Amino acid sequence: MVRRQSKLSKVLLSIVLILFGIYAAFPIIWMLICSFKQNDYIFYWPPKIIDESFSFNTYIKVLTDPVKLRFFLNSYIVSGVVVVLTLIIGIMAAYAFSRYNFKFKKPINSLIVGVQAIPQIVLLIPYMGIIVAMKLFNTYWALILTYLVMTLPYCILMMTGYFNTLSKELDDSVRIDGGSRFRALWGVLVPISTPALVSVGLYTFMTAWNEYLFALVLTQTTNMRTIPIGINLLITEHNYDWSMMMSMSVLGSLPILILFLFFQKYFISGMSSGAIKE
Amino acid sequence: MATITLKNISKVFESTGKKKSEENTRTLAVSDFNLEIKDKEFVVLVGPSGCGKSTTLRMIAGLEEISSGELYIDDVLVNDIEPKDRDIAMVFQNYALYPHMTVYDNIAYPLKLHKVPKAEIQERVMEAARILDIEQYLKRKPKALSGGQRQRVAIGRAIVRNPKVLLMDEPLSNLDAKLRNQMRAEIIALRSKINTTFVYVTHDQTEAMTLGDRIVIMKDGFIQQAASPQDAFDHPANIFVAGFIGAPSMNFFPGKLLRQGDVYCVQVEDLIVQLPEEKCARLAGKDVQPQDITVGVRPSHINVDTGVENELTGTINVSEMMGTEVHLHVKSSGNDVVIIVPVIGSYASYEKYLRQDEVVKFSFTGEACHVFDSEGKNLEF
Repeated sequence: MVRRQSKLSKVLLSIVLILFGIYAAFPIIWMLICSFKQNDYIFYWPPKIIDESFSFNTYIKVLTDPVKLRFFLNSYIVSGVVVVLTLIIGIMAAYAFSRYNFKFKKPINSLIVGVQAIPQIVLLIPYMGIIVAMKLFNTYWALILTYLVMTLPYCILMMTGYFNTLSKELDDSVRIDGGSRFRALWGVLVPISTPALVSVGLYTFMTAWNEYLFALVLTQTTNMRTIPIGINLLITEHNYDWSMMMSMSVLGSLPILILFLFFQKYFISGMSSGAIKE
Repeated sequence: MATITLKNISKVFESTGKKKSEENTRTLAVSDFNLEIKDKEFVVLVGPSGCGKSTTLRMIAGLEEISSGELYIDDVLVNDIEPKDRDIAMVFQNYALYPHMTVYDNIAYPLKLHKVPKAEIQERVMEAARILDIEQYLKRKPKALSGGQRQRVAIGRAIVRNPKVLLMDEPLSNLDAKLRNQMRAEIIALRSKINTTFVYVTHDQTEAMTLGDRIVIMKDGFIQQAASPQDAFDHPANIFVAGFIGAPSMNFFPGKLLRQGDVYCVQVEDLIVQLPEEKCARLAGKDVQPQDITVGVRPSHINVDTGVENELTGTINVSEMMGTEVHLHVKSSGNDVVIIVPVIGSYASYEKYLRQDEVVKFSFTGEACHVFDSEGKNLEF
């Protein structure tokens, strides 16, 4: 049944959507605006989008300060390694769940789902203990290992679901053509799973990039801090450097924004079409 | 270029019960399968779904573990040899093409995995493409091809390696009827071009009859009969084979086997026909006693209105005009009987067979009769 929308309802709908759009985008817009102002001008009333203090000074300061650049480097290292490890481990685990039958498959699967349901704050103290005991406190590995616990379940579940949609005859075919199961996975299944891999990869990167709580607790020295902590370090007892915080936030958001734009074209369905008769 | 020997092959699928109260279930998919496939022979495994034909093929391929029994390829025991080391190729029902590769790369893939030099790969891919007439599609991805073209690529990928054995798992079942007939003819032609041993799985008896040197009819995991297509058609081992091979299916009538010395007769209702000498000799040789039997007669072997004494009668339920013949579905004493009446001569001569509820009289000769005992076994065997 097709119902024609009246003009009025269309206009109303548009207004509501625009209002929600502004509501959602406002913090980001305000972040951008503030990053170009000097700290003192931020609280002027009425607020101006661009005032006489407009400059790129805070950006230059951030990008020339070795301490702050180190925050970025740390975040890139931790997030990058987490993405790579999550995908490698997750893909192989998902393949096993999708293609093999083994003892305790269901309980293990339930456990993986269950891990996600536990609030992270509950795990903070046990992890702290484990990380200290493993002598990994204040290292990249402290963050990487804990982030893997957060990102792997999602990756395994997503990839298992995706692999289940791919015909087992593809694996069989590779094995007959002269390859191993390993070859079937990395040579055929993974290349045609790009849409799922991109979304899992992005989710993983965002999780690692944005994480605050564990980064705060499991690292100690300034040279090991990541961006979320680095931004927070700008809040001192006597001074809130808002414009600096905002410019760091903008720079911190950029990688995710760029990744989204870059990988957008991979979010297309039907990468596997043509393999199997539908 | 290989012989395949299956000795007492069985396959059991075990599934563990989810709860403690549930018992583990064992499904016998293939049972005590014995077959010798000769070098360059074209063997077709045929049977209804779930009869174990695909499982048998997958065991030959090495994709399915063998629960018990021995499998030899060229007299080498291959039970525990990986599929990649068996030198076999397989064409799948769903093509199983690699969607991210071009047609060329798809066909070249097995050669790449076997580390064949690049120049030779090029040569052999072109040769396979030429045989299958897909040279103009080599740069395309599988999704840009039609069903028939995809199946050709799948066959190309299988033959490019010159495998010892070529396995085909219902390769035509995804194609429409016209294309299926065309591809069937191409497979027959392909066979003369590549000298290798074929094992072909299908549920379609027409495919089995037209393609195979030998057909193996399976049911519930057991071989019912392994014979040449003509032999299986002429001398079915049991009622199942008799009903499965041939279209339309064979008709079955409850009847009696009568004996006078070495002469046997078959009685259906009041119609009594004498079996031909060779059948009588076989029955006499086995000293078969008079008994209740099932008489099988092929639709094309039933004659209508011949004026023979004590003809059977029935009324036409449906008649299907096929052009050169009419298929009559006749109700006769509770039996559904299919009769093929050839269309010869004027319209008037066969017009009555196109009328519903028309009464027809029919009979058959002793040559047309297949006699099965109460368990469905052919008494001549």
